[in-house]
Amino acid sequence: MIINTCSEAMSLAKELENKSAKFYQHLSERFPQNKEVFLSFMKENDNYITQIDRAYYGVITDAFEGCFAFAIDPEAYALQTELMEKASYSEAIGRAIEIEEKIVKFYTDAAEQSKSLMADIPRAFKMVAKKRGNRLSTLKSLPGKKD
Amino acid sequence: MAILEEPIKEVLELKNYINGEWVESKSKERWDVKNPANQKLLARVPMSTKNEVLEAIKTAKEAFPEWRRTPPLARVRCLFRLKELMEKNFEQLSRVQTMEHGKTIDESRGETRRGIEMVEVGTGIPSLMMGYNLEDIAAGIDEYVIYQPLGVFGHIAPFNFPFMVPLWFSPFAMATGNTFVVKPSPRDPISQVKLAELVDEAGFPPGVYNLVHGGAEAANIMMEHPDIKGMTFVGTTSIGKEVYKKCGETGKRAIVQVSAKNFLLVMPDADINATIAALLTSFFGNTGQRCLSGANLVIVGKDDGFYKKFLNAFVEATSKIKVGYGLDESVQMGPMQSKDGKERVLKYIEIGIKEKAKLILDGRKPTITGNYPDACFINPTIFENVTPDMSIAKEEIFGAVASVMRAKDLDEVIQWINSSNYGNAASIFTSNGKAAREFQYQVECGNIGVNIGIVAPMAFFPFSGMKDSFYGILHGQGRDAVRFFTESKVVVQRWF
Repeated sequence: MIINTCSEAMSLAKELENKSAKFYQHLSERFPQNKEVFLSFMKENDNYITQIDRAYYGVITDAFEGCFAFAIDPEAYALQTELMEKASYSEAIGRAIEIEEKIVKFYTDAAEQSKSLMADIPRAFKMVAKKRGNRLSTLKSLPGKKD
Repeated sequence: MAILEEPIKEVLELKNYINGEWVESKSKERWDVKNPANQKLLARVPMSTKNEVLEAIKTAKEAFPEWRRTPPLARVRCLFRLKELMEKNFEQLSRVQTMEHGKTIDESRGETRRGIEMVEVGTGIPSLMMGYNLEDIAAGIDEYVIYQPLGVFGHIAPFNFPFMVPLWFSPFAMATGNTFVVKPSPRDPISQVKLAELVDEAGFPPGVYNLVHGGAEAANIMMEHPDIKGMTFVGTTSIGKEVYKKCGETGKRAIVQVSAKNFLLVMPDADINATIAALLTSFFGNTGQRCLSGANLVIVGKDDGFYKKFLNAFVEATSKIKVGYGLDESVQMGPMQSKDGKERVLKYIEIGIKEKAKLILDGRKPTITGNYPDACFINPTIFENVTPDMSIAKEEIFGAVASVMRAKDLDEVIQWINSSNYGNAASIFTSNGKAAREFQYQVECGNIGVNIGIVAPMAFFPFSGMKDSFYGILHGQGRDAVRFFTESKVVVQRWF
């Protein structure tokens, strides 16, 4: 089902943040050598939800195209957050990178599609996309990739 | 996506809010308030007795002298607290609107936000209410003007924006030192009750804000009462004319915002994709139940190719609109607020067919997302080959029906718009600045859009309107509202 409304797009953003937060919580328990990094990601996810919510609730009006702004296929951003019990550290980081890439793509696409909405919404999406882009380089440079 | 949780869990017995107390009405007459999507009973609203309406007015009158003496800064502190409470209860307020009105959750949240913005602008009263002065208008003589509140103001609310519309007026009225009596629409009064709960919590003194339920009888008492200094009304032109007349007879000032038949015209140089999204919101947002909705879509120019391309794109996009219960986040258009409203739209569709307009998208047999009775549902409808003399081009349908017309040039459309009895809003979609300026300059409408589907003025601008869409002089919102709720007192002063 294609997502068209602002409300649904915001819910998808929150779902992606919550799912990935849960994934990082799991990583922090499985791979304690980088616990702090993973927990900091979780905290950032909460901040992103706050920022997205603030942008949406701050500017939503009955006058703009809130019900017709998006054409997002949620399947394209479906996250695989389950890790096999025996998954190695490298595999886990690889999965994290996949997740981040999908989420960055979601925010980038959502920013593009929401251009007709008040500036705050695409700006918030862009900002989160950019910050999560930085997270990718952190993940790629994490020490202790050996299993 | 899931259906959002409903905040109303049991049937509410609504009470009046008079003199800072919740008072049960003695009236035996109650109206049912039903959720238009699922037809579940949400509340029973009393048709208050004459004495109850009089009591609300009396208490507002008694509260006025002390409230007026309260410094503006202290008055707006109540508004600041109200704003904070509205933010805290944002989601609940929004979902209540969806439940009682039927609009989508995005639309309800938009309505809540707009309501809050009115309160925010009202908090600027210490600056907005300042008068002005001039020294030495003659030797040793100074002159100045003071803006003073008048007393009690009344508001008769419409059903289509049950939460927001009363807020076009009440924050301005109260911030300027007046007291207020609101009569919500009996069709969907719950969000006003929720707002009054927040007003109470915000600490406004008893009697400053009063809510009294009722129908036409309560409205008449308010309009005829000598202690009410001014009335604000939003509704239909036929009733609005009566309101304006009665206010004139009893010496009240009035803001009467009424019906509309808005033209949206698309020039051949318009950005098609951006325009379509704006048109969908305009024609079908709030299920067409708003005075700023698009009604007549005029595609301008002799280029058949552009006409067909644009119309096809509009029809295709419209046919995909997802209709259902507004608490389903994926839904793009909710039901009509009432069965009556649906009947009226169906009647106009029949009229359109009889008038030989071409029905190219028929919404009479609705496709509904989810398992809901079709009592109030209707799908978007589009007529083609509509001409300006047809009823469906002239009369307010107040539903999700678009009448597509074709004009040879901009001048022809301007002439059609200016021939209409109504003058609420009109929009042009174009990339040509000269055409846009000409449109803005010539068109006799109060709210003009350039590449805007819904020309909703922000809280700090007046909500305008002309011809049979507005009766009065000053408008709601912005500086107009500040002037409406105050009288100019001029002092000419000399000291010997």
